[in-house]
Amino acid sequence: MVIRSATLPGVAARPRRPFSLKSWADRGTVFSWLMMGPPVLFIVTFVGYPFFYGIFLSLENRPVAQPGTFVGLANFIKEANDPVFWRVVQNTFVYTGVATVLKMAGGLGLALAMNQQFKLKNVIRALLLLPFIVPTVLSTVAFMWMLDPAFSVVNRVLVIFGMPKPGPSWLGNPVLAMISIILINTWRGLPFYGITLLAGLQTVPAELYEAATIDGAGSWQRFRFVTLPILQPIILIVTLFSVIFTFADFQLVYVLTHGGPQNATALFATYAFDIGMGGGQLGLGAAVALAMLPALALLIVAITLYLRKKDA
Amino acid sequence: MPRSSRRDVLKIALAGAGAAALPWRANAAGRPIMMLHESSFIKTFDEFFQKTLIPNYKKETGVDVVYEITSVGSLPSRDATVIETGSGADLSMLTLLFPFLYQDKLLDVSDIAEEMGQKQGGWYDVGKEAGMVNGKWKAVPFSNIGQLMNWRTDWFKEVGVTKFPDTWEELYEVGKKLKAKDHPFGFELGHGFGDNHGWLYPLLWSYGGHEVEKDGKTVVIDSDETAKAVDFCRKFFKDTMLDDCLSWTDVSNNKAWMSEQISCTNNAESILWLAKRDFPDIAKVTDQAMNPQGPKGRYHLMNSISHGVFNFSPEKEAAHAFLKWLMDEKQLGAWYASADSYYQPVVKGYNNAPMWDVEPRNKPYRDAMATAHLPGWPAPPDRRLAEAVAKYVVIDMFAKACTGSSTKDVIKTADSQLREIYKSA
Repeated sequence: MVIRSATLPGVAARPRRPFSLKSWADRGTVFSWLMMGPPVLFIVTFVGYPFFYGIFLSLENRPVAQPGTFVGLANFIKEANDPVFWRVVQNTFVYTGVATVLKMAGGLGLALAMNQQFKLKNVIRALLLLPFIVPTVLSTVAFMWMLDPAFSVVNRVLVIFGMPKPGPSWLGNPVLAMISIILINTWRGLPFYGITLLAGLQTVPAELYEAATIDGAGSWQRFRFVTLPILQPIILIVTLFSVIFTFADFQLVYVLTHGGPQNATALFATYAFDIGMGGGQLGLGAAVALAMLPALALLIVAITLYLRKKDA
Repeated sequence: MPRSSRRDVLKIALAGAGAAALPWRANAAGRPIMMLHESSFIKTFDEFFQKTLIPNYKKETGVDVVYEITSVGSLPSRDATVIETGSGADLSMLTLLFPFLYQDKLLDVSDIAEEMGQKQGGWYDVGKEAGMVNGKWKAVPFSNIGQLMNWRTDWFKEVGVTKFPDTWEELYEVGKKLKAKDHPFGFELGHGFGDNHGWLYPLLWSYGGHEVEKDGKTVVIDSDETAKAVDFCRKFFKDTMLDDCLSWTDVSNNKAWMSEQISCTNNAESILWLAKRDFPDIAKVTDQAMNPQGPKGRYHLMNSISHGVFNFSPEKEAAHAFLKWLMDEKQLGAWYASADSYYQPVVKGYNNAPMWDVEPRNKPYRDAMATAHLPGWPAPPDRRLAEAVAKYVVIDMFAKACTGSSTKDVIKTADSQLREIYKSA
């Protein structure tokens, strides 16, 4: 039997319901736009506008307090001729690369340890978040004292173990200064990795481990073939966030070294700020800040594509 | 809900927005004058402004003044925000090169500055350097926060020195002996704001080196004079200082001083001030002196503080009148005195004022005014110079030499950086 809707009794005859805000809002498209509206507006206003204004500024010769003139890519060309800019590029990549690897390895270890059963587990898990919770400026000031030549607890320990006084100049030597800021960033970022991966670890079904054990897998193999594949998407997402935060880091360096000694710790964000605010060159500062965009964009695209491929 | 109610909602929303906007508009007439100032190291200075000057002005004219204090180091970005958005303050404290960066947005205050010069003993030469832009005063110079030599009299005495050395070379010889006795020097070579420029520019100048000529075009950093200054700095660092100086920011030398780590540094009066308050034993053996001289003279840095009125302010006339009142001897003298001599006047009329007798050890800061200049002197201060300062071109030239790079290389790098900056004028 073929049922044609037009022949169904009652439908055609039903009178048009009066407009009701409730039913209007209940319609799928309307509802989704209502829900999407505020965040879209927020993103357009507070992310989109500054972003495009930044691009616009980077194409201008725009001293503070003066109208800008369009100069095309001149700011970028000027930066390319600036040896300090290339130093900043190198610093930022080293800083981000090393710190991310350390955070990833350390965070995974932390998550695995925290996933075990032990006394006061919840208290210790909560305490682990401390480095992440303490405002960066405060913890950086604490590190400033810890690395200070006169008061350094680090050097004091090293001297006790036989190093000649006063010990290494942690922030005075260009290489040690970079190592110091990488370690401090790792210290701060570790809990983010640790807690996120811990959440991931807890989603691994116990049956999988049991099955693997029955198949004769040792602890390394269980980790390699059960834990790691399940954690992989989470690791990628955390890494993505971590790289973005680390790449654009500002506070740590600004407070601890201000980019010194001799620009050995200057990053994109601090250098852009110095030029834009200290030097009053808003266009040039924006160009420096935007120079980090291609690298970040590539990374985001690569990780997103990879995750999509896995989902498909 | 009936259809018409949506229109009602719109009406209500519009009325609400209008109402919210109204008080803001009403404020434009007769609102208080907003003045921005960086938080002072000397508490009594800000207090005097708030508790004495503002009430006095209100009593005399009926006009309210709001004194907004920004944290140390954040004034430039706060000023930039005010200027870019055209609102938020009517007048502001300006530091170093900012009168030149903001010249298009500052009111001509020549009448105030000229009158101040006439009535208060005349300007030091550096006053014009710090406030005059193309023949017009765009800011009224207020003071220098001078950077001078701070030295430990007890340790210097141990090596037979009772008077501060007169030349850089003599200071170097003393420093070598003191470092051998575990009393090294500590001069900032890192990326701070003040204590690095405070001695490195004067060092460069005293050997005859400059970044750019007076014409504001010709880059002249690559000279024998610069090379001599760089060579001196390298040995001065290596033989007299702590390694950590390379990473120091502005707080570091104060910290090292109070922990009795260093025997000589270059700083503002704050070291002695703080020592007197918290470390009286150290204060007793702390003295201050003018910078040593080099083959081409003795120089000091003008760590300039001035005040300017924003020309876009709807209250600019009121702000101008307030600044005129503030810069009058009656108010100004008392304001200076509230900080003893931490702020050194740029006019000569206060040279014998009682504020210098509060702490005679501060008198060299007064005497240094005659040989003080802005960073980048003798090039005219402008945005290219500000860029060179923000990029630490001169500071890093010296600092790199201290870590072992050759004099030729560090000067070459500074030269190419400056040429790039000055090319795109």
